[in-house]
Amino acid sequence: MRSIVDFAADDVILDRAAILCSQGIPEEAELTENFERIYGEAISLFQQLAASKGITAGISISHFEEVFRGEGLNEPENPVEEIYGESSHLALFAVTLGPVLSEKVTELFDNGDYASGYMLDSVSSFAADRLSVLIAQNLQSELAAAESGKSTLRVLSYSPGYCGWHISGQRKLFEVLCPQEIGITLNESCLMSPIKSVSGVLIAGHGKIHEFANSYPFCDTCRTKSCIGRMRDLK
Amino acid sequence: MELLDRISENLQNGFDETVVQLTEDAVEKQIPPEEILSDGLIVGMNIVGEKFKNHDIFLPDVLLAARAMNGAMEILKPLLIKEGIPVRGKVVIGSVKDDLHDIGKNLVAILLKGAGFEVIDLGNDVPAEKFISAAKEENAHVIGMSALLTTTMPVMKKVVDLAKDEGLFGKVKIIVGGAPVSKEYALEIGADAYSYDGANAVETVESFFPANSR
Repeated sequence: MRSIVDFAADDVILDRAAILCSQGIPEEAELTENFERIYGEAISLFQQLAASKGITAGISISHFEEVFRGEGLNEPENPVEEIYGESSHLALFAVTLGPVLSEKVTELFDNGDYASGYMLDSVSSFAADRLSVLIAQNLQSELAAAESGKSTLRVLSYSPGYCGWHISGQRKLFEVLCPQEIGITLNESCLMSPIKSVSGVLIAGHGKIHEFANSYPFCDTCRTKSCIGRMRDLK
Repeated sequence: MELLDRISENLQNGFDETVVQLTEDAVEKQIPPEEILSDGLIVGMNIVGEKFKNHDIFLPDVLLAARAMNGAMEILKPLLIKEGIPVRGKVVIGSVKDDLHDIGKNLVAILLKGAGFEVIDLGNDVPAEKFISAAKEENAHVIGMSALLTTTMPVMKKVVDLAKDEGLFGKVKIIVGGAPVSKEYALEIGADAYSYDGANAVETVESFFPANSR
């Protein structure tokens, strides 16, 4: 089943500590008045300008195998392949904050307002990631409702460019999902526009299927290490 | 408080309009532009850099200081050129072809300007040939490239190869950065250096100019 979701600005909870953490700032840090002002302005701008949308489309394991294979450039061993093989439900997804926020970031930088541009970009990046979590939670709720609320299924998102799934996998994913319907396009380098967009697959299954040892060769160079927090949250 | 100290202090606090006003006052009072730069602005930026390193302040604070520095430099640059005082170094910078991410590149450019370097920002989606032609036209000392996608990283190698073909290699230092880029990749393609963030990029570029470092 294919569906489109419009998110309200309030749906995206802008967790201050997490946003600051993404900037390398510890929770207990003392921040300057300037910093607080810029942060407040960025949150306000985000709430005014975000136009968040998402699209999902259910897909069978066999069809997803073809999407995942993409152009044959994935890492030979990767966790995604093992996880989706054990899934009970799969859906392709894409989410976006819309083009206006990125345009505002560019405008701020062009006007020399670097600090505000940086802060709005940082808030937007965090929010785009949150959207992928929200769309996964939506699917999890739908699946739970179908099982009279007793579901033990956990839904997590996985994206091309991470965990051994080569970025070129975006091409096949876009071919099947067609997120152009919500305004997301792909360029030759597999970069999405609007830039604050996330795409991938939602994998539903027992929490345990999402657990893996982050000791693949590519884990060393991974800068996000977000798998650690995601696996911790499963428990 | 002396005028140059006030410039330094206001710069540290990111009060860009005040810094510009005080710089104009200093020029009016016949303080040599090089002195305004070295004893006011650079002193302030060095303190900002130290505080940033010690996590007493964070990137937005540094960017406010850099904006103040850039505003003051708009006033000082023509005077420094008139007096034949060389710029600290010239850096051609851009995000490589097909890469539309520019925040990281912008931050590096702003921080380099804040450190007193002249920066020629080519923007994003920059073809390899453009990096080379700009470096030649501008007599640049450094080419800085950013890539946020593994699919666009090969353009970096193309620039290094073109630099060799055009006789720039060794004369122009090449520095690369961006999320998927690594020190190993920089070595593999023959770039001179890799930087993992903006502050590190400034330190790395500064290391190319040991005799010139303030």
